[in-house]
Amino acid sequence: MKKKLISLVLAGVMVLGMAGCAEKPGASEESGEKESKGSKYELALITDVGTIDDKSFNQGSWEGLKKYADENDITCKYYKPSEKSDKACLTAIDLAVKGGAKVIVTPGFLFERPIFEAQTKYPDTKFVIVDAAPVEGEGKAPDIKDNVLSIFYAEEQAGYLAGYAAVEEGYRQLGFMGGISVPAVVRYGYGFVQGADAAAKDLGLAQGDINIKYTYVGNFAASPENQAKAAAWYSEGTECIFACGGGVGNSVMKAAEGAGKKVIGVDVDQSVESETVITSAMKTLSDSVYNAVASVYDGTFEGGKSITLGASENGVQLPMEISKFEKFTQEKYDEIYNGLKDGSIKIANDTAADDASKLPVEIVKVESIK
Amino acid sequence: MDIVYFIMQQTMFFAIPLLIVAIGGMYSERSGVINIALEGIMVIGAFAGVLFINMTQANLSGQGLLLIAIVIAGITGGLFSLLHAFASINMKADQTISGTALNMFAPAFAIFAARTIQGIQQIQFTDTFQIDKVPVLGDIPVIGPLFFQNCYITTYIGILIFLVAAFVIKKTRFGLRLRACGEHPGAADSVGVNVYKIRYSGVIISGVLAGIGGLVFVVPTSTNFNASVAGYGFLALAVLIFGQWRSNKIFMAAFFFGIMKTLASAYSAIPVLKDLPIPNEVYKMIPYIATLVVLAFFSKNSQAPKAEGIPYDKGSR
Repeated sequence: MKKKLISLVLAGVMVLGMAGCAEKPGASEESGEKESKGSKYELALITDVGTIDDKSFNQGSWEGLKKYADENDITCKYYKPSEKSDKACLTAIDLAVKGGAKVIVTPGFLFERPIFEAQTKYPDTKFVIVDAAPVEGEGKAPDIKDNVLSIFYAEEQAGYLAGYAAVEEGYRQLGFMGGISVPAVVRYGYGFVQGADAAAKDLGLAQGDINIKYTYVGNFAASPENQAKAAAWYSEGTECIFACGGGVGNSVMKAAEGAGKKVIGVDVDQSVESETVITSAMKTLSDSVYNAVASVYDGTFEGGKSITLGASENGVQLPMEISKFEKFTQEKYDEIYNGLKDGSIKIANDTAADDASKLPVEIVKVESIK
Repeated sequence: MDIVYFIMQQTMFFAIPLLIVAIGGMYSERSGVINIALEGIMVIGAFAGVLFINMTQANLSGQGLLLIAIVIAGITGGLFSLLHAFASINMKADQTISGTALNMFAPAFAIFAARTIQGIQQIQFTDTFQIDKVPVLGDIPVIGPLFFQNCYITTYIGILIFLVAAFVIKKTRFGLRLRACGEHPGAADSVGVNVYKIRYSGVIISGVLAGIGGLVFVVPTSTNFNASVAGYGFLALAVLIFGQWRSNKIFMAAFFFGIMKTLASAYSAIPVLKDLPIPNEVYKMIPYIATLVVLAFFSKNSQAPKAEGIPYDKGSR
């Protein structure tokens, strides 16, 4: 009797478990919060390997899209490719179009080839691709059709601001820990190095006074490996690490908490994640996606080109109000920001060098760790 | 010398969760049930533990909170493992498939539940658990900084679990019966041992330990829990096999893996290694190569429990 009871209970738990699974029809489709108008969704976002709450570009893009959808009472939905491959991304695009999407936003580098195919396959659908441009394959020049707008950011400017601020704050031993060396991450890193160099010059420091350890860890995940890497740097004397790679940041913050050191966040304001985050090198994803979507609806959509949003378009920034700066002032920030705006400050981006240690800097010593 | 202390402290973060989970796996497998679900159970345990910390950290903090969270992680892991036990013991299902099902279910459930409860899938927690220095013990020269500084209470819990687990399986009546059920369940049954009950206990113990291991893994590694333990459940299986299902060897295997992982991550801070022309990937590979070598050379006289993976059927005696 007892045994039967136990098996009944367990069977019940299993059935419930199955029901829990059944609510999600496959991994390729996840419903957004707004579901009405006979399951047609005009606005669609397709995530890359992250999700809409990755505290990074998927989340930023989704927030912008959702804001426009809510304000104008348009249906929206996000889709998640079932795996990290061109085919899965393309399938997700097919699904979105079948679901009635008129505008599809795709954040991330992974979409350059899927969008290249989708732009001719669905000429009536508008695509907004963030951080990438449609290309046929590696090494080919981008081919952007009229229904596609590709948005880039001048991440090197955000990195520059962060690097400048860090040195101005009095940090001398810096670190840059990127996720994978995709162009956006490289731009952040190169900007960071050059910003630190510029601040060192302005402060009149001697050559070699600033050391930057520079690496790409090879993933975007929180793991003991990444924590140990950051902890090793901190124990060697690194004072502040610019953590640039999703979950990697959380492991760096953990190491910083243990060592009593500092972190600079990335993409969005990450100060809520840990006390150790002094500032974040932000790009205004949600605003630019919002504007792009709005331009489709008010008829000013300009496809067929790629735009790069930098300081002059307010595309990058440091969140000065919430940053924990003691020496780096708002005036100084404005001065540099204006310099970036009017072009008097020139920053080399990811195409300038194939390795961070070869960047044209004078005072900063970059130690590239493979 | 500082660097030696640093490596030791970091090694603990890798080795302790591996040790706890592998010891858990040992209990299940030596009772005769393959437990490939360790990864999934770790996820569920960490999920429950971190969620508890997240919800109560406004009122509680410090070691007390961590201890309660560990208990909750253990209970949740134990309950979750019942699914595996039921499928593989009562229903005589293929144990690898049932374990795989749990592995696939766990992260999906953790995401789904976290989204339902709090809207986003990452569960934040504030770390109030780190111990800068254990009173008295931390001041002992050499040993103090080596074992009692910059650490978590989980390190000592892990060691304690290991000692108790090793004692139970080797020296007690229950341990002997458990081993008998893994080697020759028919023989055990013939002298009046309830094989089903023993196997249930084995799986539940593995669930409890894997659940604890999940939380122990997450706390020193990140500032939030994102439905993943980065494959450490499978790594613990490798530790279990590398340790040939014997507690002392598992202990050594866990620390071997831990030190290798630390060297691979932190080699840039170690002067001697930095100058050697060995690429970082080599250190990353060593634990896995070692496991393959052990499997290849010792597979003939492998110490794996004989009846492992075979559902026990009373009628076939």
